Amino acid sequence: MTRAAEEGKGLRQKKVFGLKKWQYVAINAFLVFHILAISCWCLPISNPFILACRSAVRPYFVWSGLFQSWDMFSPVPKTMNAYIEAIILYKDGSTTTWSFPRMETLSLSDKYFEERYRKFVESILADSNSAIWPDVARHVARLPELRARDPQKVLLVVKWSDIVHNDDGTFTRAPWDEHVFYRYDVKPEDLQ
Amino acid sequence: MRTKSFFEAWNTFFFAEESPIPLGLFRIIYGVMVIATLTLLRPDWMAWYGPHAWVSLPSMQAVEPGTRLNVFAFISQSDFWVHALFWFSLASAACLSIGLLTRLNCLIVFLCLTSIDQRNLFILHGGDTFLRVAGFFLIFAPAGAALSVDRLIRIWRGKDGAEIRPRRPWAQRMIQFELALLYFAGFCSKVEGVPWVQGTALSYMLNLDELQRFPVPSWFLHPAVLKLVTWFAMALEFCLGVLIWVKEFRYYLLAIGLVFHLCLEYSLNIPMFQWDVLSAYVLFIDAADLERAWNWIRSRSQRFWAFGTRTNGKAH
Repeated sequence: MTRAAEEGKGLRQKKVFGLKKWQYVAINAFLVFHILAISCWCLPISNPFILACRSAVRPYFVWSGLFQSWDMFSPVPKTMNAYIEAIILYKDGSTTTWSFPRMETLSLSDKYFEERYRKFVESILADSNSAIWPDVARHVARLPELRARDPQKVLLVVKWSDIVHNDDGTFTRAPWDEHVFYRYDVKPEDLQ
Repeated sequence: MRTKSFFEAWNTFFFAEESPIPLGLFRIIYGVMVIATLTLLRPDWMAWYGPHAWVSLPSMQAVEPGTRLNVFAFISQSDFWVHALFWFSLASAACLSIGLLTRLNCLIVFLCLTSIDQRNLFILHGGDTFLRVAGFFLIFAPAGAALSVDRLIRIWRGKDGAEIRPRRPWAQRMIQFELALLYFAGFCSKVEGVPWVQGTALSYMLNLDELQRFPVPSWFLHPAVLKLVTWFAMALEFCLGVLIWVKEFRYYLLAIGLVFHLCLEYSLNIPMFQWDVLSAYVLFIDAADLERAWNWIRSRSQRFWAFGTRTNGKAH
């Protein structure tokens, strides 16, 4: 065997796919970890082992921004139309109603720009997010068109209409209902 | 023997060198998607992320605790700095799209996107999540190896030849894996839902006023059709999650997936999600086929311009 061939063989042994051995091992560890961790995180499996894996990788996923969920309209899509309004009580005793942008009332281009409000309203209505209700009410009170009139109280009202599945396979809408789900007393510092 | 063939398949899949052209094209589209996302948010940058946003930074941190990669936690909470972060993100996404300082801009875009997402988790849709996780793996990919200013600079400096050198696709495979998992996880979640199994899920969705964009044809609203389409959507998600890896099925599935997402874009108001997901389809196309398509477009456009020049010449 010539010297060049021996050198070539030595180089091949040290390198895998053009990578140094430690690089090859590191990349493989990275790949295996991420494939398993992302699968455990995303797939709706409630096996105790998977749940343990999920909680083990949680700090890393939350930190790095790799958290993800692909349950698009599932397992159960929304079964009601709902929107939120805010009733504002002013110092002089008058009231006004302010509505979050409603997609069904917007133009096509506005829908593109304001779609985040649809998602935000969905988030507000989840009971698990009740901690953000004071922030939402405070933000409404601070809106330029309302702030000037010295708001004293903000009531957040949800209005909803269930989508009813009839026996013949058709769908109808139930009458609209409403419920005040949060009351907020505006503090002077909120308006500064 | 089986173990050996598994490792061989693994190595070929992740490490056998391939043309980076699909990745370069994905990088361009990805940058455009990030720019579009940030531009659509533009009127509400302050409302969602400013010092007096709908949800304050301390509230966000209280509701979703944990140490997070979030630039907003380090910058001063003022309009100026929030604006600066967004303009910086936009500039970086533009540089990423053209492939200038690609690796650095991959990192910056990922950091900015993650921070923007972490600052307000209540307004995110699947498209934002896909951009974020794809951006993470793009950092490790040779995204500037083709169709980039970086490559032009390397050629100019004599460090790169006219031929595009093949690269190891392991990071590209992870973005492909994310896309396939998006569909497969969606399928698994739908299988657990009674309305999806019964075939009524789409009917509920089309009755949601907030989701409606353009009117759908009346025949489509027949309960039997909606039931079939609901099941078809589930079956397609399964196929796009699993069978996309089988080369013989790939292009058919990509074509059906493209039509499916365009139909969703037409009928449902979920801005950017369809485009964000479709952007990664290019990663599943062979570089040779992309080159063939490019040559076809080029020859057509050359013929078109030559025809235009001749017609103008005659008119004069």
